[in-house]
Amino acid sequence: MTTRKEIASNLAVILFGAVFLSYTTRYPLDTWESPGPAVFPLILGSVLTILGVGQLVQALWKSTRKDHREKQQNGARSVRESLFRNRGEGKALRMIAVFILYLLMMQWIGFFVSTFLFAIISSRLTETKDWGSPIALSAGITLFCYLLFEVWLKLSFPRGVLF
Amino acid sequence: MTDHGVLSFLLTTLEPVNFAACFIGALIGTLIGVLPGLGPAAAMAMVIPLTLKLGPTAGLIMLAGIYYGSMYGGSTTSILVNVPGEPASVVTTLDGYAMARKGRAGAALAISAIGSFVAGTFSVIALQFFAPLLARSALAFGPAEYFVLTVLGVVLLSNLTGKSRSRSLILMMIGLILSTVGMDPIGGLERFSFGIEAAQGGISFIAITTGLFGVAEVLTVLAAQEKPIEVLPVKFRELYPSRKEMKRSVGPIARGSVLGFLIGLLPGPAATMASFASYGLERSISKHKEDFGKGAIEGVAGPESANNAAAGGAMIPLLSLGLPFTPATAVLLGGMLLHGITPGPFLLRDRPDVFWGVIGSFYLGNMMLLILNLPLVGVFAKIVRIPNQYLMPIILVLCAIGAYGDNGALFDVWVMLGAGVLGYVMRKFDYEPAPLVVGLVLGPVMERSFRQALIISQGDASGLWASPLCLAMWGIALLSVILPMIFRRSILTTPKKGI
Repeated sequence: MTTRKEIASNLAVILFGAVFLSYTTRYPLDTWESPGPAVFPLILGSVLTILGVGQLVQALWKSTRKDHREKQQNGARSVRESLFRNRGEGKALRMIAVFILYLLMMQWIGFFVSTFLFAIISSRLTETKDWGSPIALSAGITLFCYLLFEVWLKLSFPRGVLF
Repeated sequence: MTDHGVLSFLLTTLEPVNFAACFIGALIGTLIGVLPGLGPAAAMAMVIPLTLKLGPTAGLIMLAGIYYGSMYGGSTTSILVNVPGEPASVVTTLDGYAMARKGRAGAALAISAIGSFVAGTFSVIALQFFAPLLARSALAFGPAEYFVLTVLGVVLLSNLTGKSRSRSLILMMIGLILSTVGMDPIGGLERFSFGIEAAQGGISFIAITTGLFGVAEVLTVLAAQEKPIEVLPVKFRELYPSRKEMKRSVGPIARGSVLGFLIGLLPGPAATMASFASYGLERSISKHKEDFGKGAIEGVAGPESANNAAAGGAMIPLLSLGLPFTPATAVLLGGMLLHGITPGPFLLRDRPDVFWGVIGSFYLGNMMLLILNLPLVGVFAKIVRIPNQYLMPIILVLCAIGAYGDNGALFDVWVMLGAGVLGYVMRKFDYEPAPLVVGLVLGPVMERSFRQALIISQGDASGLWASPLCLAMWGIALLSVILPMIFRRSILTTPKKGI
């Protein structure tokens, strides 16, 4: 992991720890004889924040030892490299967006219809060029889920306006 | 309990529903083991809704089947494709794939299956003896001992993930923090649920697991744009190892079985640790050191036996203490709780049918896996070539159903998606998700025992180290923190020769 990534991830940990710590103050600490619901979270939040600070200090120490010019050269190179290396990230982001849409739609058009549509779109997001196989796959998945989970296991899924 | 009673419970495995559950579990486990990335924890979490229909014994037999089946399947792709299906099979690629390139793929697969069978059976026999013993001694555990044991688990696990200890501890803390969402285990006060009704019962463990291991894997594969995989061919008649290969494998299988079982008792990714430790041991004592990395049969026999034995060993802390130290056993614990079974010292007394039924299924499952893995190895190897456009939607939909089926709440599916995105980002930042899952499971036990211990000792913190058992565990925890630091310092200060 690069130093920049390390610093960013540790800052995120510290932020999370600090927010969590501030939130624990809403609950009673009570006494050591009968510790309240805030005691354990308070300890956890403190340990997490301390660990994050420790890691951040280490990462900063490492970064200051690097030659500034070398860092600039590497930085310029790493932007190009990372753009090339991470060109697949777009697919992952699109899949996350489609999944969010799937969950939002589930409440309106129901689980099975939204699953049918989600399976088609997520299959198309991978490598498929045609529409035939995603539709067939999606129909198969939906039917399988319906028969196994709804009919046999009696799990009740969200219903929508269509089904 | 009489031996006759134990035998009758063991024989419950042969009832049709349990037999079928064992077969399906072992088959799913093998398939999951073959597929790179998607591990047993995510697969078990996805299958939990299915097991609810089967009842506790058959349901848990199926989950356990997935767990140890994945250890078998992981080796197939390591040998034929040079892609480990499971982290525990990474080391098998070194010599297994080299053997396959020399035309000895069949022998490597056969030795791997035989070693897995022997080690799996050995670990079950040991489990049968040690789990009840440990469960009986665990009855002497009070809240203070349970608290120190969970602390020890946290410390040891942070040492054993193979990556940065601080990062493992950070993730463990995040897991513990997530476990505090919902009802406070002592007073029943609602915490950190932000008014969301579905969060009042706590963060769904299944949702987190399917997200971190299932959804994150799909996103990683999508982003990676990997090339199609080439599978080396293997014919059924090539499955027979030569007499020399068999002879060279006996020792590694025996040593791997014992070593793997012992490592399985420790907190951490036991199967992975065991396979690496076994490989190191075999290489250091082998008469054919020069063959290692070029197709040494010992490099396949030892690690493959060790990872299967470790899978059995890891069941001991779960069944006897109710403490899971690996993500897969943590999911098994989640499954047990959903079935109304509480693992721990009282499991053997209260539900001997479940305890011995699950153990009995290990015997049966190991035999099934041997029979399945030898003739069907070519079929399993081809599964790795299933295109992503078919596999990815299936995994995502099953993950969503697994998360939803836990509580029947859509909120859990959102949590799963959040965990999936977090898991994907964590992989980018080189964070290992396993400690987070273990922290999430250990959290409630740790908090309850910590607060109960303080209440019993009337606020005197020395109650947490008053008993000799507590002191011993604190000592081990302290040593496991200090010793690696000393070793690292001594390595850094030792002058390098030849410079």
